[in-house]
Amino acid sequence: MPLEKVVETDVLVIGGGMAGCFAAIKAKNKGVKVTLVDKGYVSKSGQTPFAGGFLVFNPEWGHDLDSWMNQINNFGEYINNREWTKTILEDSYSRYKDLISWGVEFLKIEMPQSKSSYPKRVTEALCIKENMHAGILRNQAVKSGIEILDRIMITDLIEQDRKIVGAIGFPTDNLDFYLFKTKAICLCAGSGGFKPHGAWPIANLTSDGHAMAYRVGVEITGKEFEDYHGHSSNSRLQLPGSKSPQIPPRIGLWGEVPPGHMKGQLFNSEGKEIIIREDLTPAFEANEGYWPFRDEKGNEIRSVNGAAPGLAIHTAEGILPTNLDCVSSIPGLYAAGDNLATMFVGAFYSVGGGALANASVTGTRAGIAAAKYAIQTEKPKLDENKLIEMKKTLFRPIERKGGFTPKWVTQLLQNLMIPYFIMYIKNGKRLQATLTLVEFIRDHLVPKLTARDSHELRLTHETKNMILNAEMKLRASLFRTESRGTHYREDYPRRADPNWLAWILLKQENGKMKTIKKPIPKEWWPDLTKTYEKRYFSRFPGEKWKR
Amino acid sequence: MEEVIMMVATIDLILCNGCGICVNSCPCDVIRMEKKNKKATIKYPEDCMLCELCAKDCPTKAIKVPPVKPQQLLLSWG
Repeated sequence: MPLEKVVETDVLVIGGGMAGCFAAIKAKNKGVKVTLVDKGYVSKSGQTPFAGGFLVFNPEWGHDLDSWMNQINNFGEYINNREWTKTILEDSYSRYKDLISWGVEFLKIEMPQSKSSYPKRVTEALCIKENMHAGILRNQAVKSGIEILDRIMITDLIEQDRKIVGAIGFPTDNLDFYLFKTKAICLCAGSGGFKPHGAWPIANLTSDGHAMAYRVGVEITGKEFEDYHGHSSNSRLQLPGSKSPQIPPRIGLWGEVPPGHMKGQLFNSEGKEIIIREDLTPAFEANEGYWPFRDEKGNEIRSVNGAAPGLAIHTAEGILPTNLDCVSSIPGLYAAGDNLATMFVGAFYSVGGGALANASVTGTRAGIAAAKYAIQTEKPKLDENKLIEMKKTLFRPIERKGGFTPKWVTQLLQNLMIPYFIMYIKNGKRLQATLTLVEFIRDHLVPKLTARDSHELRLTHETKNMILNAEMKLRASLFRTESRGTHYREDYPRRADPNWLAWILLKQENGKMKTIKKPIPKEWWPDLTKTYEKRYFSRFPGEKWKR
Repeated sequence: MEEVIMMVATIDLILCNGCGICVNSCPCDVIRMEKKNKKATIKYPEDCMLCELCAKDCPTKAIKVPPVKPQQLLLSWG
């Protein structure tokens, strides 16, 4: 008989990467009880063990806020959230000092500048020595007296009377049922992709945090912007249409990156090594095998990309924050890291080390705000009837005798969503066709997913969340009838100002996914008296090109 | 779908000291401890994402991760 385990806490942090550890530590410092739970093992979690760059803004080092902001506004194509951009830059130095005080060592890196004639980038980042931060964050969490529960997957949040009161889950080693009663939750379970294999190491990230928040009615944004991390692969699934040779699909994670270098080992589809720059050489495997960007002279920029299909660029996608305390539209629900859409960099990623800086800043803010909220909040009383139903849903794949395996359904989804002509080169007709198929999977296969053990039970919930992510990405991409940043529509190849100086929110209403346009504040608009070519310095294929 | 056995990593059972660190290192829950011989085993190879955290953390360097992973056949039902 599966055991029911009840965990009572003040602040429940879900996800143990950079954002989750910061949130837990900072909440604990406020004197509340904090529980940190992860479906893997805290310190081996999320994208954090693989990330090395850390952006630090410090006027004492000669950094100028206006020029850093301008770079991000211009490259982010004006839809970055300027309040957040400023906040993350300004808070980054304090978080850097936190990490140093906990024992993290940094190396200075030379940020490569593009040889093309794009505007020069001014932002700087440091490199964390040997990716040492993940283990140190865990040690610091343990030292702070945080209760850490590893290898427990949270599947759903419990919302009652428009307040967050708890969460449910199970361990990946057995079929016990975990009930968390809590006053506040910090969701730090990242974004996610479609389990690309042999590419960017995100197969453990399946948009669980976005999906859980969406299911309790929270607005999700940024789903139309695509991550452009690069790789090489022998797999046609990751690089469809490419003539990619049998090259180890590594991105220079261990041992291949000399200390102090941001260089990754990447190859284009002809097998030639390319040097990745964290600037405007984003490059998808796209039109005839290359990302649809051209430099100022009209030349194609050639490199291979699409290593993380399903993932948006860091900080772009996730829960819409209602203020700078990282709170969602539901009281008691906070988010941080890539679970929160700060829109720090907008529609395009132009900074090195921005993701970890963003995660540490938002983790800190979410943790502190959640602790303050918990101090003022009564212990929740949970509706038992609702719980019984939620528990049944959680374990249904185990009890079902027949049905579809998560492996098979995931594979179908990968075949639909990963090819370059769906989410990288977008087109209304293809998006609509794919959405029809994803809806079929959602309605006919997801309700019949089966699992033989707790490991497969995890896979069923991951699959369900990935399918929701696919639907979100398709609907948002269909809705944005323009191209901007890393969202490219061949049927709408130009930016449409001011109509699309806006974010897209996705929200569940009466069981349906609703798309809502939220215009950005007018004072953030680019100068519309300038010509289009002056406002935007890169061109999409299909745009009329003026030299 | 029938399980397709394809090794994405190997654990040298002579070198493996049974410490269990790799079980926690794996973000995808691929490795478990075998009760009989108290050694690590690759229980769910198809879920390996080739991240190498297990190999990096293994104190006796018992784990080898190859650079590529075979793909599964796509079936009509599964």
